[in-house]
Amino acid sequence: MPRTCRLHPFTVLALAAAATATTVAAGRWWLSVAVLLACLLLAAWARRARRLAGLAAAILAPAFGSQLLIHSMADTAGGHVLAAAGPLRITAEGLATAGALGLRTGVLVVAGLLCTLLVDRHDLVAAVDLSPAPPQLGYLLAATLLLLPALEQRQRAIGQAQLLRGATPGGGPRGWFRRVRLRSVPLVLGALQDAADRSAHLAARGFPAAGPHTRLREVPDSAAQRRVRRIALACIVLGPVAVLAPTWAGAA
Amino acid sequence: MSPNLILPETATGHPLRRRMLAAAGALLLAGTYTALVLTQPTGLVDGLGQAVALATFAAYLVAALLLLAAVLPELPVSTLTLIPVALALNIVLGQFVGSVMVPLYLDSLGTVLVGFLAGRRAGAATGVLGTLIWSLFNPTVLPFAAGAALVGFLAGTAARFGALRRPYLAPVAGLAAGVLVGVLSAPVAAFVFGGTSGVGTGALVAAFRSMGDSLLSAVTKQALISDPGDKAIVFLVAALLIYALPRRLSAGFAFVRRHNVLGSRGSK
Amino acid sequence: MSTGPNRVLGLELARFRYSGASRDTLSGINLSLAPGSLTVVLGNSGSGKSTLGAVLAGMLPRHDGDALDATLHLAGQRIHHRPGAAVRIDPVGWARQVGLLPQDARHYLSGVRATVAEELALGLENAGVPRAQMHRRIAALADRLELHALLERDPAQLSGGQERLVALAALALDAPAVLVLDEPLAGLDAAVAARICELLDRLRSGGTALVLLARAVDRLAAGADTVLALREGSCHELDTAVPADAAPVAPAVRRAPGTRDEVLLGFSGVGIGYPGSARPVVEGLELTVRAGECVGLAGPNGSGKTTVLKAAAGLLCPSAGQVRGKSLAAGTVGLLLQNPSDQLFERTVAREVAFGLPRRGPAAARIPAVLDSLGLREHAQAHPYELPASSRRLVALATVLVREPEVLLLDEPTEALDADGLALLHAALAAVLDRGGAVLLATHDEAFMAATAHRVHRMGPAVAARVRDRTGGPG
Repeated sequence: MPRTCRLHPFTVLALAAAATATTVAAGRWWLSVAVLLACLLLAAWARRARRLAGLAAAILAPAFGSQLLIHSMADTAGGHVLAAAGPLRITAEGLATAGALGLRTGVLVVAGLLCTLLVDRHDLVAAVDLSPAPPQLGYLLAATLLLLPALEQRQRAIGQAQLLRGATPGGGPRGWFRRVRLRSVPLVLGALQDAADRSAHLAARGFPAAGPHTRLREVPDSAAQRRVRRIALACIVLGPVAVLAPTWAGAA
Repeated sequence: MSPNLILPETATGHPLRRRMLAAAGALLLAGTYTALVLTQPTGLVDGLGQAVALATFAAYLVAALLLLAAVLPELPVSTLTLIPVALALNIVLGQFVGSVMVPLYLDSLGTVLVGFLAGRRAGAATGVLGTLIWSLFNPTVLPFAAGAALVGFLAGTAARFGALRRPYLAPVAGLAAGVLVGVLSAPVAAFVFGGTSGVGTGALVAAFRSMGDSLLSAVTKQALISDPGDKAIVFLVAALLIYALPRRLSAGFAFVRRHNVLGSRGSK
Repeated sequence: MSTGPNRVLGLELARFRYSGASRDTLSGINLSLAPGSLTVVLGNSGSGKSTLGAVLAGMLPRHDGDALDATLHLAGQRIHHRPGAAVRIDPVGWARQVGLLPQDARHYLSGVRATVAEELALGLENAGVPRAQMHRRIAALADRLELHALLERDPAQLSGGQERLVALAALALDAPAVLVLDEPLAGLDAAVAARICELLDRLRSGGTALVLLARAVDRLAAGADTVLALREGSCHELDTAVPADAAPVAPAVRRAPGTRDEVLLGFSGVGIGYPGSARPVVEGLELTVRAGECVGLAGPNGSGKTTVLKAAAGLLCPSAGQVRGKSLAAGTVGLLLQNPSDQLFERTVAREVAFGLPRRGPAAARIPAVLDSLGLREHAQAHPYELPASSRRLVALATVLVREPEVLLLDEPTEALDADGLALLHAALAAVLDRGGAVLLATHDEAFMAATAHRVHRMGPAVAARVRDRTGGPG
């Protein structure tokens, strides 16, 4: 059973944003690695370390591959040539650049995914509803997250129905196009019709709220958390400035 | 006191404030893009590189959020219930397409659908929202929110000027939109991530780089190769889906009726 | 019929036409509702009763394209709609006076809240009611309607009947003067239907005027003050409470099973499970279906009826035992799924039925006859989604029948069918049996089962409720 923290979702998000911004600005490999490890430890505490690692790897592997190709294989500037073949040059500088970029992307991805795993969906929606954001935002967020499993299920049902009717699209681009059509037309039609049917009832229930609105759900919060959030928000701007200002001063 | 049964004739709200927000977002986007193209910062991982990465990330994200804040309050409920459906379709159909091994993203299908049915503002809002929600599963897409907004905006604009009245016009509009979106999004890929999200596109960029291009122009060229084709197909598929809609449903959208989006196809 | 000051809602409707439609959906309807009254509007699928409900609830006309010529009297105000100059209705203000429970309660529920209590509170939240007051009002509502057991449940896990209860409760929270109910008892088993009736009785005795939209006179409609019959959008009042032709009379198609002994479909020791669930949904199933025979599958939700039908159609592979039969190998098995919209994807009914058939084959030549036999000829060029629910179900049936299946498999075939549709279904079944085919059907509808099935196979109780998630519905 995964553990969740009883923190305000914005506290988690603000902390993650502050940590990411400062780490990216610092650009020190040991700091990035430390942040990555801290994220993994937190995920382990929440019993989702494996999930975090899997999700992050699926995004990072192709991105890192791309960075390696671009910077280490085709580096034009570096002096320490490790290998060269025609226009391809592998240099130490290029590898270092690719590594630094990979760590930067890694911190962003792992910290962001950790937030998704730690934050309760319904708490996040309630927090957005109670924030000064437009009242429509919370509904859009919630509806999309809840529609996803429903649509995937319908997609399977449609696939079965078409199998029954002997819909065999065949191969090649024409077959692919036919398949996209057969799958998507009933799905889109059904989903749009459903959306049209719902909208009148949502409007009748006062959505979107014209004035101030409230939520029955209580989002865990405290004075300490609010303070932490303010500090974290300040850090998102001040952290990078503090780290980078000396380099600018040195360069000037 | 007698209850309110009828809406007042004049719409409430602050149109001026919203227009200011939209203008601020567009200006921020244009300013950041121009600054990046003019200065072409070379260092990616030194002190300046970190600052450029963070600033680009923040500026593109903030611009997208400003556009969203400007547009969201004026969308009718029928559009608001359409948007989550479109976003979920982005993801579900994107997965389906991915599973048949065709090298396209098609992850903007829902955004284009909303643009076609509900206009450019709704399309832009869908693009930003879709990116925000998709970022819960993949945080690297966050700074591409501005590009997604542009896709929705251009889809709505194309529909308004008749791109759906003939089936062959939709992919042409898609091609044009793909060029603009590719150019706009290239600096994010170049300066924030220093690369692309896939190995195939990365190889393309590496090839351009080895021929002596700068990183930004290499990434821009790569985007100009993959984006227009992708958007052309997305626009075409979205147009065909809309032709398949029953009349009562498509005519329910004020945008479709006002601008005669479907032309003679809609009045059959 | 009451008029004058003692009415909460009055409607004088000359005509209503949807944007782009070629004929009026409603014409010449007058209604006047007294507090605590029950008005029943009877009509077949497509008669316009849902449209009438939406007009009463202020949800139509949607825009200037819909042409409504009507005058409404509500809460001491007179609202005058003219075609091309519809009044813009405030949906919230109107809903405080007239609530509408749609046929599918899921359209009413937002589906974005974690608990039933939060779902109930949605309207209050949007009105900015303070949290303490919301808690108080929801507790009071739960007391009044005996809903405490549901309050902390996840709305996504409710049964169809519970969804309707929750939607009704959410409607009752605002205490509107009028409630319009679109077939509130359709598809519910007796116990849940009794619960809904009890709830409605309470609302009615509290002074709420109820408008019931129904296909046939049911237990709720029996206590009506006024009964209106709606046909093709126009309305005539009936003096007698129950019209003679409103109750569907199923023609008996059951006849002696064919004498041919040929086994078209047979299950021997079949077990079917889904990956990820510990126990199989179906175990040790023994069942044979012979030519000329109609067999019914009965059993509670989750007992695996849909699973058996899918296995018979070759969609699922049994994990134990075998499914055999000549038809299975020949591919002449046709399955009508429960949700017709999963099966439909073409732009017109004619193209839909012709889908996947060789253009010059014998099956394509049968299309006009099949459309005729199901009363769909006039709809041949219509979009399947624009047809009333009953006709849409028949279109799905037509796509199956056009292939002349030897074994016809039906999953809840009577759902959404009106009296005419039911008669057409009976005739279609008889035709399949007459030409030496067989029918295997799963249904909750006992009357239909008794009228059609030669014998009934009873499935065991629900084995694993969690399987429901995977099969996408009651199985």
